[in-house]
Amino acid sequence: MINRTDLVLAAVLLAVCAGLYYVSGTFEEVSPLFAQDMPPERFPRMLLSIIVALSIALPFERWLRKEKGKVLDKARSRPIRSIVYVTAGFLVLVVSAIQWIGTFLVLVLVCIGLPLLWGERRLKILVPFVALFPAAVMLLFTKVLGVYFDPGAIGFEFF
Amino acid sequence: MDAVLEGFLLIAQPGNVALIFISVLIGVVVGALPGLSSPMAVALLLPFTITMEPVPAIAMMAALYCAGTFGGSITAILINAPGAPPAVATAFDGYPMAKRGEAGRALGIAAISSISGGIISLFIFLLATPLLAKIATSFRPMEYFALAVFALSMLASISGRSSLRNLIAGAVGVLLGTAGIHLTTGVERFTFGVPELTEGVSFVPVLIGLFAMGELLNQSQAAERTLEVIKAVVVKLPTKEDFRRIWGTILRSSGIGTFIGVLPAEGATVAAIMGYNEARRWSKHKEEFGTGCPEGIAGPEAANNAATGGAMVPTLALGIPGSATTAVILAALIMHGFRPGPYLMKETPHFVYAIFSAMLVANFMFLIIGLAGAKVFSRITLIPRTFLWPAVFVFSLIGSYSYGASVFDVWVMLVAGVIGFLMLRHGFTPAPLVMGLILGKLVEESFSQSMILLDNHWWRLLESPVVDLFFALTALSLCWPLISSQLEKRKRSAEAAAEVTGTGR
Repeated sequence: MINRTDLVLAAVLLAVCAGLYYVSGTFEEVSPLFAQDMPPERFPRMLLSIIVALSIALPFERWLRKEKGKVLDKARSRPIRSIVYVTAGFLVLVVSAIQWIGTFLVLVLVCIGLPLLWGERRLKILVPFVALFPAAVMLLFTKVLGVYFDPGAIGFEFF
Repeated sequence: MDAVLEGFLLIAQPGNVALIFISVLIGVVVGALPGLSSPMAVALLLPFTITMEPVPAIAMMAALYCAGTFGGSITAILINAPGAPPAVATAFDGYPMAKRGEAGRALGIAAISSISGGIISLFIFLLATPLLAKIATSFRPMEYFALAVFALSMLASISGRSSLRNLIAGAVGVLLGTAGIHLTTGVERFTFGVPELTEGVSFVPVLIGLFAMGELLNQSQAAERTLEVIKAVVVKLPTKEDFRRIWGTILRSSGIGTFIGVLPAEGATVAAIMGYNEARRWSKHKEEFGTGCPEGIAGPEAANNAATGGAMVPTLALGIPGSATTAVILAALIMHGFRPGPYLMKETPHFVYAIFSAMLVANFMFLIIGLAGAKVFSRITLIPRTFLWPAVFVFSLIGSYSYGASVFDVWVMLVAGVIGFLMLRHGFTPAPLVMGLILGKLVEESFSQSMILLDNHWWRLLESPVVDLFFALTALSLCWPLISSQLEKRKRSAEAAAEVTGTGR
C-alpha cells in the first residue's frame, strides 16, 4: 500500500517544510498595523501547509493509481549510475575553480574533462572542439554582448 | 490598426529579420535534437537577450518557440526519434510513411500542417489578446488571485506522470518565489543571510538549471544511440489528394491546439496528442493509422504549432503562462521591465503586435528552412552526446553567470540542476516548478491586496462572480484527473461489454 521510495521522498519534503516553518517564525516582527494584518510569514506558511498536505498523500499515490502508477517507477527503476555522481562532482569542482583560474580556463576544462569522463576518445574531434568552442563562446559574450568575466586569481583574461 | 502596422514595421527591420532567422535556425536544430527542448533553449537564449532592445529580444524567443515545436517533427519522421515531446505523436504515422519510401511526402505534410496551424492560431491570437486584455482590465486583486489559483491548479493536468507531483512542484515554485524582501513590510524572508537572495531567487539560473542541467545529468547515464537515418529525402509538398484528405484535420487540430494553448499551463504536447486522437476519431481511414496515414501526421503537427500562438494569449493578455516555454518568455518580459497582463496591451500594443509579427515571420521561415534543410537537420542527431552536452553546459555556465555577473548564480544553476535531475527521476516535471516560481509574486501580491481590501474576511472573495467562476474551474481542473480516469474506465467496460455481445452473436 505504501511505496517506500515515495515514503522517503515525503519524509524529506516534510522535514524541509518543518525546517522552513521554523525559519518563518524567525522573520523580523512588524506591527499588525504596519503589516496591514498580512504579516510576512502568513503566505509562506499557507504554502507550506499545502505542500505538507500534498506530501502526505505521496506514499499512497502509487497504490491509488494501481496499474497507471507503474509509470512513476519508470525512471527510478534502475539505480543512479556512478557517472552521474562523477559528472556532478566534476561540475562542482570546475565551478569552484572559477575564482582561481577564471571563466575561460574553466570552459576549456569542461570541454576536455566532460567528454573524456563520458568515454569520448576520438581526439580528432576532441582537439578542435576544445580549441575552438570555448574561444568562440567567449568571443561572442565578451566582444558582441559586452559581458565581463572573472579572470580569477591567476588573472588570465580572454582577449 | 496603427499599432498592428507599427508592430509589423518594427519586426520588418533587417536586423530583426536576421535575428529571427537565426532563432528559427537554432529552434529547428534544438527541436530536432532529442533531449534538448524549447523551454531549455529559450532559457539558454535569455541571457543573450538581456542587453538587447526588448522587441528583438522577445521576438527571438517567440521565433525559437515556434521553430522548436516544428523541428521535432523532422527527426520524428526520419529517424523515429522525436526531438521534442510535442512531436511524439507525429512519429506514429510519420516514420512508417518514411520507411515505405515516402519521407519527403511525410515532411511536406508535416511542414504544411505546422505552418497552417501556426498561422490560424496567430490570427486567433491577434483577435483574442486585445479582447481578453480588455476584460482583464476590470479585474481587481481578488479576480487576479482567483485566476492565478486557477492557472496553478491547471498544473494538475500539465503533461507529466503525476498530477499530485505537478501540484507539489508548483507549490514549491511559488514558495521559492517568496524568498527575498516582502513587498508589504520590507522584511527579509528565507534569505539565510545570503545577500544575493535579498532580491529573491533569480529566474535565469533556476530556469537553466532545471531545464538544461537536470537533463545533462540524466544524459550522462544514457547510452549512445545508434539511429537509422532514412536517406535520399526530397521534400514534396502535399498533392491535391493529400490536401483533400488533410484540410479538415488541419482546421480541427488548429482549433484544438489553439484552445489547449490558451489554457494556462497546458502546452503543445497535450495539444498534439489530442490532435492525433481527434484526427483518428474523425477519419474515414481509421485502419490506416499507425501505418503512415497523412491525417496522422497533419493532426498532431497542426495542433502542436497552433498551441504556440494560443499559449501567447494568456501570457500577454493576463500575465499567466500558457506553457513552459511561455513561462520563460514571461520571465524575460519581466526582466525587460514590462508588466505582462492587460496593461501591456493597453500601454504598448505595438509591442504585442511585434511579437505576433515575429511569430508570423518565423512560421514562414521554418517552412522554408525546414523543407530545404530537412536532410541536414536529420543529420544533426548524429552529433555525439559526449560533445553536445558539454556544449550545453558551457552555455548554461556562461548564461547563468552573465545575467548578474555573479558566480553565485552559477551555483544556483548547479543546485537547480541537481534538483531537476532528482525531480525527473521521481516523476516530477520541472515545468510546474518554473510556472510556480514565475506566478509566485502575482499570487502573493493579489492575495495580500485582496485580504487587505476585504478586511481579512477571505469568504468575501466569493462575492465576486468572476472569482466564483475561476474557483469552480479550479475545482474542475483539480478533479479532472479523477473524472477522466473514471470516464476512461466506463468507456473500457462499455467496449468490453460490446465485444462480448458481438462474440455472443
